[in-house]
Amino acid sequence: MVGWITSALPSKRGLQLSLKNPATLLGIGLLTTFSYLILAPVISILMDAVNVNFGDSTRIGAEQGSFTFYYLERVFTSPISKRLFWQPLLNTLSVAIGAMCIAMVVGGIMAWLLSRTNLWGRGWFATALIVPFMLPTWTFALAWTTLFKNRSMGGQPGWLESMGYSSPDWLAYGPVPMIFILALHYIPLVILLFGNALRRLDSQLEDSARILGASRSTVAFRIILPLMRPALMSAMVLILADGLGEFAVPYILGLPVQYDTLSTSLFRAISSRQTGVASVLAGAIMVLGCITLTIDLYLMREARRFVTLGGKGAMERRRPLGVWRLPATLLAASLFIIGVVLPLLTLFLSTIMRIPGRFHLNNFTLDYWIGTNLNTIALKNGILLTPEFWSATWNSLRIVGTASICAGLLGLLVGYVVTRTPWRWLASSLRQLTFMPYLVPGIAFAAATLSLFAVQRGPVPALYGTSMILMLALIADQMPFASRAGISAMTQLGKEPEEAAQISGASWLRRMWSIIVPIQKGALVVGIVLPFISGIKGVSLFIILAVPATEVLTTYSLRLVDYNYTQAANAVVLMIAMLAWGGTILTQKLTKTGLAQGLES
Amino acid sequence: MPTITLDAISKQYSRQATAVQNIDLHIKSGDFMCLLGPSGCGKTTMLRMIAGLEHLSQGRLFIGDQLMDSPADGCFVSPEKRGLGLVFQSYALWPHMTVEQNIEFGLRLRKLSERERRTRTGEVMDKLGIAGYAKRYPSQLSGGQQQRVALARMMVLKPKVLLLDEPLSNLDASLRLEMRAELKRLHQAFDTTILFVTHDQWEAMTLATTIAVMSKGHLQQVGSPDDIYARPANRFVAEFIGNPPINQIAADSMLGSRLNNQPDTHMLGIRPEDIHLAQAATPYALPAKVQGIMPTGGSWVLDLETEGQCLQLSTQIRPQVQAGEHTFCQIQPEHLHLFDTDGHRLENTRYGQAGIIRNNVSTTTYMHAV
Repeated sequence: MVGWITSALPSKRGLQLSLKNPATLLGIGLLTTFSYLILAPVISILMDAVNVNFGDSTRIGAEQGSFTFYYLERVFTSPISKRLFWQPLLNTLSVAIGAMCIAMVVGGIMAWLLSRTNLWGRGWFATALIVPFMLPTWTFALAWTTLFKNRSMGGQPGWLESMGYSSPDWLAYGPVPMIFILALHYIPLVILLFGNALRRLDSQLEDSARILGASRSTVAFRIILPLMRPALMSAMVLILADGLGEFAVPYILGLPVQYDTLSTSLFRAISSRQTGVASVLAGAIMVLGCITLTIDLYLMREARRFVTLGGKGAMERRRPLGVWRLPATLLAASLFIIGVVLPLLTLFLSTIMRIPGRFHLNNFTLDYWIGTNLNTIALKNGILLTPEFWSATWNSLRIVGTASICAGLLGLLVGYVVTRTPWRWLASSLRQLTFMPYLVPGIAFAAATLSLFAVQRGPVPALYGTSMILMLALIADQMPFASRAGISAMTQLGKEPEEAAQISGASWLRRMWSIIVPIQKGALVVGIVLPFISGIKGVSLFIILAVPATEVLTTYSLRLVDYNYTQAANAVVLMIAMLAWGGTILTQKLTKTGLAQGLES
Repeated sequence: MPTITLDAISKQYSRQATAVQNIDLHIKSGDFMCLLGPSGCGKTTMLRMIAGLEHLSQGRLFIGDQLMDSPADGCFVSPEKRGLGLVFQSYALWPHMTVEQNIEFGLRLRKLSERERRTRTGEVMDKLGIAGYAKRYPSQLSGGQQQRVALARMMVLKPKVLLLDEPLSNLDASLRLEMRAELKRLHQAFDTTILFVTHDQWEAMTLATTIAVMSKGHLQQVGSPDDIYARPANRFVAEFIGNPPINQIAADSMLGSRLNNQPDTHMLGIRPEDIHLAQAATPYALPAKVQGIMPTGGSWVLDLETEGQCLQLSTQIRPQVQAGEHTFCQIQPEHLHLFDTDGHRLENTRYGQAGIIRNNVSTTTYMHAV
C-alpha cells in the first residue's frame, strides 16, 4: 500500500518539475511551431489529394471537401495519367539515374586520383573541382542554352547557331543536356563523399592483405571496394534523391521540347490550378524522396559501423601514376574547364556581346550591365541600372536573410531542448519533425505550403503573395540543416557550462544570453550562413510561392529567360553564382572547416 | 555554518534504473567529506542532488535548517538559490570569457559595485595564485590553472558549502600532489564545508576527514580514513580500499579452516602488508612458494602460493627470496578480517580488535603474549 503511494508520487512531481523546466516549456512551444510549419502543410496537401477541391465539384459530381479517388485515378490510371505522371516519372528516373551513373564513374575516378595518387596539383584540384557544387544547377543550364540553343525556340540563338552550325534538338534540349549538366553538378559530391571515405580507410587493412599475399587487384576488389560500398551507395542515393526534386534544369532544358519531369509536371499542374492533381504529384514526389532517404539513413548507419573499424593507421599513401601522370592531370584539368571555366566564361561573355557567338571587338559591350536607353521593349537599362534587379536583390537578401537568421536561432533552440529536456519523446519528436523537410523535395514542400497558407485558416490570414509565406516555407525547408547544426553544437558543449552559471546564481534567460549564445556564436553563424547560401540559389520554393511583388533574384532571372532577355538573365545568374560561391568560401574561412565535413554531418 | 542532512533520499531515473537508494547522511559543518565509490555507484548523482541539478525521487534534503528538496512536501529550491559552490570535473569554464570575467560573473549577478567586484576577484585570484592570468582565456591555461580558475569562480562567492566533482582526476601526477595540498589549505583558509566525490581511494584517504563509501546506490560505510581502512564494515569496503587489494580466503578452504576459529565466518580477509615472510617455521608460519616478485619502487609485491591458495604480500623490506623458491609466511590471526555469509564484518573477538593494536605492538612481542 505504502509502496503504491510512493511509486505514484514521483511521476506527478516529475510533471510539475518538468513544467517548471524552461527547456521543456520551450520544447513544447517549438513542437507546436514546427507542427504548424512542417507537419500541417504536408497533411494539408495529402488531404487535398483525396478531397474534392474548390471548383471541381461539378466535374467530379461530389460536394467540395468530400472524399474522392478522382485525383488519384486521374494521376495514376486515367488515359491522361501517362502524360501527367508515368512519362514524367520515367523521364525523372532516367535523368536522375543517368546523371548518377556518369557522376559516380567520373567522380569516383577523380576521388581516387585526388586522394590516392601523385596527380599534379592535387591540392589545387581538390578545391577547384568542388566549385560546381557551389553554383546553382541552372547556371550550367543557361550556359548550355547560350551555347547550343537552336531555331526550334524563339529569341536569341545560341553561339553555335549564329556561327552557322545548327545543333540538333537532342543536343540542345531534353535528356542529354540535362543528364550532362546534372552529372557535372554531382561529380563534386561524389569526390567529397568517396574521397573522404578513401582517405579514412586504414591503410593497415591494405597492408595486411598484401602481406598475406594478395595481389593489387585482389586488394582493390576484395578489400577496398567492399569497404567503400557504403560510401558509394550513399553518394548514389543522395544524388538520386536530389535529382528527383530538381526543378530549374528541366524547366530550362526540358520544357521547350515537352520533356517533363515530375517537378515540372507538378509545376504545370499548379500553374493551371489543378490543385488536386498537384497534390497527388507532390505526394508522389514525397514518397519517392522518403524511400530514397530512408535507404540512405540505413546505409549511413552501415557506414558508421565500418568507420569504427578504422584505426589510426589512416596514413596517406600515394601511388605513383608513372606515364599516366600527365593524362590523368589533363583529365582533371579538362573536368575543371568543362565544369567551371566554360560555363562561367560563356555566361560572362554572353552578357557583354550584342549578337551571340560573334567575336568581333565591336560586338562587345557593357550595355547589358550598365547601359542606358537601350533599344528594347521592357529592359531599357543595363541590369545594374534596372530598379527591378535591385528590388529583386533586396527581396532575396531580406527574405532569405530573415528566414536564415530565424532558422539558425530556431536550430540552436532545438539543439538546446533536445539536449536538455528530461522528456525523451519531446526530444526525439522535435528531432524527427525538424528533419522531415529533408525527405520532401523543395517543389513538393512549396506546393504543400501553398495548399495550407493560400487561404485563410482560423486566425491566420491568407498568406499567398506575401513575403511571409516565403519566409515560413524557407524556414521550414532549412530546419533539417539548422537543427542538425544546433543539436551537434549543443551536444558538444555539454550541460556543465550552463550548470556552472546556474550554481553561480544565473536565471534561465541570463544563462541563455550570457553563456549559451556567446559560446555557440560560431555554430550560430554557420547555422545561418549555410541555409542562406542554399536559399539564395534555390529555385523550387520561389517559383511556386513568389509573386511579382516578392520577386527574388532566382525568379527574376527565370522570368528574364522566359522573355528571352538572355544577356540580362545570364548576368543575374552570374551575380547569384558569385553570391553563393563567395558565401561558401566565407563560411569555410570563418569555421576553418572544409565543405566536406559540413556535408557529412 | 550549515550542516547538510540527507534524510532517506532516493533517486530513480526510471522504474528499472535506481541511482541512489535510501541514503541517510549527515555532513557536519566544517567537514571535508568524500563520497568514494566505483564509477556508476551514484556518488555524482548524490552531489548533483545536493546542488539541485537533479531532483530527489524520495526523501528530504536539508542545508542547515532549511528544507531544500522534498517530493513529499512538494518543495524544491532551485540551484541558483541554494548558495552552494560546485566545481565540475571538466571545470566547465566559460570559453568566451577571460579568467577575470569567469570569476566575476557570479558577482555581477549579485549586482556588486565594480570596486567591490575588483577587490574580491583580486583577493581570490591572489589566494589561488592565478592573478597573473587574469586577462587570459581558459583555453590558454594548463589543466592545473584551469582547475584553480574553476575553484576561484566558486570561492569568490564565499559559498557555505563547496562541492567538488572528481577534483583531481584530470590532473597529472605531480599536479595532483600540489592541488591536494592546495585543497587542504583552502579548506582551512576559507573555512567552508567541502564535499567531494571521487573513485580514487588514494585521493579520498589523503584529503578527506570523513569518507562515505558507496556502492550500487547504497551507502556502505561512513568513517575516518583510518577507521575505514582498519575496520571495513563489509567485504565491499574491504575489497575496494587497499592496493594491492585485500587477500580473501574462503573460511571452508584448507587455509581458511586452519586460520579461522570463529563460527559464522564465511570469508577471511588479510591485507597484503599484514603477511610477512619468515625464515623458518615459527608460530603461525605457513610454507609458501614464491610465484613472482613485482618491485613497485620502494616496496615489493610478492605472489605466494600456500596450501593451494594464492596470496599477495607487500613489504617495504627487500625480499631475500627468488621467484620459484620455497619459503614461509606468517599471518597473525588478529590481523584477519572476518565476514559472514552476507559479507558483513564480524568482530575478531578472540584476538581483540584488528588493526588497533597492530601499529603499537611489534609482531614478536604479540606472538609471545599469545
